[in-house]
Amino acid sequence: MNTLTDNSLMLRVKTGDLDKMGLLFERYNRPLFGFFYHMTHKADLSEDLVQNVFYRMLKYRHTFTGDGEFRTWMYHLARNVLNDSVKQNRSFNFYDVNEVADRIGGGALADEGLERQQDNEFLHKAMGALSPEYREVLILSRFQEMKYDEIAKVLNINEGTVKVRVHRALGELKKRFFTNERR
Amino acid sequence: MKDDKKMNCEYTRGKLTEWLNNNLEKSEQMEVNRHLAQCESCQEEFAADKQIWDSMAKIRVPEPKEAMRTNFYTMLDEFKEAERAAARFSFHSMMESIREFVLPQWTVQLGFSLLLVGLGWVIGHRTSRSKVDAVAYQQRIETLASQVQDMKSTMMLSLLENPSATERLRAVGYTSEIAHADDRVLEALFATLNNDPNVNVRLVTLEALTQYAGDASVREGLVKSLALQDSPMVQVALADVMVKLQEKRSVKALKTLLQKEDLNDLVKVKIEQTIKDLS
Repeated sequence: MNTLTDNSLMLRVKTGDLDKMGLLFERYNRPLFGFFYHMTHKADLSEDLVQNVFYRMLKYRHTFTGDGEFRTWMYHLARNVLNDSVKQNRSFNFYDVNEVADRIGGGALADEGLERQQDNEFLHKAMGALSPEYREVLILSRFQEMKYDEIAKVLNINEGTVKVRVHRALGELKKRFFTNERR
Repeated sequence: MKDDKKMNCEYTRGKLTEWLNNNLEKSEQMEVNRHLAQCESCQEEFAADKQIWDSMAKIRVPEPKEAMRTNFYTMLDEFKEAERAAARFSFHSMMESIREFVLPQWTVQLGFSLLLVGLGWVIGHRTSRSKVDAVAYQQRIETLASQVQDMKSTMMLSLLENPSATERLRAVGYTSEIAHADDRVLEALFATLNNDPNVNVRLVTLEALTQYAGDASVREGLVKSLALQDSPMVQVALADVMVKLQEKRSVKALKTLLQKEDLNDLVKVKIEQTIKDLS
């Protein structure tokens, strides 16, 4: 079973067994897509970014030491990919809520109650209004279910800072969410 | 007490997301719950947070398109291919650089050109020298041969003037050893053929001249000689030579010969036969 851990797979990739990256892709393409989607709310862009992360993991596989968790290393690269993308597309409007509504409008959502739909929209807006820093820690803890110490490693900050940041981010989100809802 | 409570609130709020994610140890979970039970503000906050938290779970995330997976495997294949090519290239370039380091390109080229030039010089020198040798040798041989020939003709010419018929016969015999008779020799031979008092000498001379019959002037001389001969044996021998050479110009000379009054009958018949053969 040991051979199937993320770390051992990545170490196999590192030593030249590049096909093992396929297994890691199957494990992480959705969580990564989710991370980028929550960060940008652009599905096509997120798909490109996922591809980019896997490419970088192949290209920079020598930098993976196996000391830390594979997932930490992967999100580290994912953040870099995202930052590069933001730099490249300065004029690009990330987190365009209308686009999101277009993409996921109708379908399953249409069956749900209007209130739910509104909730969803409010939350979208609230998330979009957060600073990327806050949005990031919320996504990592909520959607990637990372603990503070792991987030700290991904972000290269100490655990206490993460704790504070999550708290403030949640507070901010809460404020915006309920303000929106009241309107 | 107040401080304790404050500490507790801070501690509890620090556990917020873990509590929301159900990531806490059982004892910690209980601790947080116990605090929430007695702290209303925390309770309120946690309730609101939980609502947000649960709502966040309902944020719809679209499915990534299947193309993303296809693209990934295409990229993986391309990457593997590029990696292989790079490995090949780097091995090649490594060998190249080692070779470059040990033997820079220009030294190899210079070495080869020098070697070729040297080789060319040596070979050229050797072959040209041996050629010169051979040519010199050949020249010396030729000089010697011509000197021998000269000596032989000189000897022959002097012997032809010898009063003894035997010596003159020997002189004519030498001509068989003279490959290229010069004008001097031919002149002497014709003189002997036409004027020598001894019939045998004349016959041998005729034989000697026949071997130079390839020369037109020799043939002409032989035809002229027909009229000058008075010995029947020489006349018959000359007639034979004419037939052998198929010398048609001799017919006229032979006819003149037939008019001669003191012609031997046998010779007459032989000459008539010769004329018939030639015409």
